[in-house]
Amino acid sequence: MARTLAMFTDVSLCIGCRACQVACKQWNQLAPEEPEWTGSYQNHPHFTDKTYRLVRFFEETDAKGQMTQWHMMSDVCKHCAQAGCLEACPTGAIYRTEYGTVNINQDICNGCRYCVSACPFGVVAFNHDTGTATKCTFCNDRIHNGLGPACAKACPTESIRFGFRDELAGRAKQRVEELKKLGYKDAQLYGEDTNGALGGLNAFFLLLGKPSIYGLPDKPKLPQRNVIADSLMSIGAALLVGLGALVAFRSRDDKGGA
Amino acid sequence: MGPGLLKSADWPLLIDLYFFLGGLAGGAFVIATIANLLDAQRYRDIVRMGYYIAFLAIIPGPILLIVDLGVPTRFLHMMMVSKPSLEIGMSALTVGPFHLKLLSPMSAGAWVLLGFSVCAFLVALDVFLEDRGGRSMSLLRLVAGVIGGFFGFFLAAYPGVLLGATARPLFISAHWLGALFLVVGASSGGAAIALILSLLGSRARESLSQLMRFTAFALILQLAALALFIIAVQMSGSTGIAQALAKLLAGRYSLAFWLGAVVVGIVVPLALQLGGGIKKAAPGMTALASALILIGGFLVKYVIIAAGQAT
Repeated sequence: MARTLAMFTDVSLCIGCRACQVACKQWNQLAPEEPEWTGSYQNHPHFTDKTYRLVRFFEETDAKGQMTQWHMMSDVCKHCAQAGCLEACPTGAIYRTEYGTVNINQDICNGCRYCVSACPFGVVAFNHDTGTATKCTFCNDRIHNGLGPACAKACPTESIRFGFRDELAGRAKQRVEELKKLGYKDAQLYGEDTNGALGGLNAFFLLLGKPSIYGLPDKPKLPQRNVIADSLMSIGAALLVGLGALVAFRSRDDKGGA
Repeated sequence: MGPGLLKSADWPLLIDLYFFLGGLAGGAFVIATIANLLDAQRYRDIVRMGYYIAFLAIIPGPILLIVDLGVPTRFLHMMMVSKPSLEIGMSALTVGPFHLKLLSPMSAGAWVLLGFSVCAFLVALDVFLEDRGGRSMSLLRLVAGVIGGFFGFFLAAYPGVLLGATARPLFISAHWLGALFLVVGASSGGAAIALILSLLGSRARESLSQLMRFTAFALILQLAALALFIIAVQMSGSTGIAQALAKLLAGRYSLAFWLGAVVVGIVVPLALQLGGGIKKAAPGMTALASALILIGGFLVKYVIIAAGQAT
């Protein structure tokens, strides 16, 4: 495998301009969608088959309902080192590239939608027109030609950075220290640790507070971790059922006789 | 916050129906195999009907699954692609164009569905030929019956394991879905055999009452697994679990859950059984109880899947 490529999104630099969202749409030729009013600046509410980059807005309010802090975060597919979508995919359409990113081969996907429900971040979306699942590819065509993803290129504040994972991780840790000195006590990295949840995220974030403020799970879990325990429980149930059948069909001489 | 972020596969009723029929087929097949191993002569009716039902119930399975695909013509990709990618998961086994992903229950399930269908076809054919006056190929029936029996267990359980390996809060938070689906398969398989036998006026009253006793046992397991599932989900305390559980127990799906899956599907048939109505295997009572078990078996899978997928 080549050196792992990654994306580092620093929410402390994000100004919510959505240039990344637009650049993503343009480069990937994603069709427009009806805007959806959610009561927040955020549009659209979720990732869709036509929205791979999404700037999320979170209005933190106090007890009186007054807004105390306004968070914004440009969200994207995390290209998890242990990816729920990739492990779930029964066709092998979802694969890991030599750069460590996770892609969906549109010529193989048959639209079973297992990956859609297996993503711990709700990223993968089903495209009803093509009948296949789609998501961010880190602009696979661009990164194979040394261009970097469209969103990172378009970001005017360098909130989104793209590069080699090890380099970015060092830079990210430095930035957390800087922010802490400036008084942002809760500044923290999300998904940077390759020993952490999901083996680390190849799109990791610098957050200014707890992940839950940004709607992110504190400890995302690889859904496939359940398979072995669930299977063992099923085998236990199968033994009970088999035993029950043996007993029921063995007891021949009670009531009525043969 | 959590569940607002997550997406759902939105598998429609077709898939619930497949999960139900697959479980029923697996259950009926296993019952027939066990009865066949214990005493093929004495349980002849149960063996015949069990294998017939398993075969007939599995026929719609692949069709339902293929119709639901976004690109139905690519159904074979579940097992093979002409140019496989190199890295398709940590549990992937590939041989030439074929692949099996051990940690993807959908991948394993596709293979087992194929294996089970072959076994179900072979034994049903054997039973059919015997019915037409030929001799049973008992070795074939034995081998295909035992192998198919293992597949049958798998077929009944894997949809639950499959759901457990998604990020949906209701599914991921407990380990009981596979076991629950397996026992539902056992009870619906037993009920399906009993229903047809009692409607056909089978004279094997005693073996029918043994079958009903087994089915009642499976129902008790079903009630226990359902209760344990809900308790385990409740106790997991994961994000968004309260809302997810509320949908099932108090929200939109609560009527189908409490009245359909619990009362009609488990409590009433169990009461009929324990009340002695079926002990003498009165055909009317047996048919009634079996029909209720089948309705409940479908509903319990339906409500859990619907509530878990609702966003």
